[in-house]
Amino acid sequence: MTRTRCAFAPVVVYVPLMRAYVEGAALGAVAGFLAGLFGIGGGVIIVPGLVLWLRLTQYEASGTAVATIVASSAAALVLFAADGKVDWFAAFALFVGSGAGAWIGGRLIERIPEHVLAGGFALVLLIAGVRLWL
Amino acid sequence: MALSTFVALVALGFLTGALAASLGIGGGVVFVPALVVLFAFDQHVAQGTSLAVILPTAVVSTVAHHKGERVVWRIAVPLAVAGILGALGGAALARQLDAAVLRRLFSILLLVLALRMFFRAKHVYDRRHSAADGGVDDARSEEPA
Repeated sequence: MTRTRCAFAPVVVYVPLMRAYVEGAALGAVAGFLAGLFGIGGGVIIVPGLVLWLRLTQYEASGTAVATIVASSAAALVLFAADGKVDWFAAFALFVGSGAGAWIGGRLIERIPEHVLAGGFALVLLIAGVRLWL
Repeated sequence: MALSTFVALVALGFLTGALAASLGIGGGVVFVPALVVLFAFDQHVAQGTSLAVILPTAVVSTVAHHKGERVVWRIAVPLAVAGILGALGGAALARQLDAAVLRRLFSILLLVLALRMFFRAKHVYDRRHSAADGGVDDARSEEPA
């Protein structure tokens, strides 16, 4: 279990920051677990956790979350890639599309009221969830 | 891979990127079910592929956020270290699970997120309608059928 001790080693060094470290680590472990299990980023857990629990602003929470997602997604990716469970070509296509989408589409989509967008997305998630179960 | 598949994947990425930018959600919850349902990917390959998109996206995003001084490194570092251990555990469990089981677990995740997104929509809608004295009707007319 030397690895686990490594994760908590900074706690000993910076005693005043201990709470933030322990809470951050607990949050990271849970989010990382879901990220590895489901192949998602985990921002869905990290961002609200950072805002509600560690009192970051929404902007700081988004920035801090993506930094941790770099680490957790890389770790999970190594295991999936080792099993040959990655379609690199599809990943490339999705990456190209999403980069353009975030840049161009983000501006267009802002004209749609947030409740319509969130409501519509909720509906899509519901349909996808039911479809995936069957 | 056929050209049409490539174009369809780029289009899926585009929609997801736009949605992610405006709703502040990651791509993973969209990529995985879309790859499985629309492109007939195996559940594990869909998840691995999703991670392969998320990693470079998160790197680019982190650079941008770091320049804007929105990354709290003091918290990000312990979070990332624990995140690596958690992710290895989660991925190790995922590779043990049958694709059918993993699919159903993912479907539960989606239904929970759907509920949360629904309440967010309701919250935004309620706030807008209780705060505004005028201009209520134009928002209402844009409601989806």
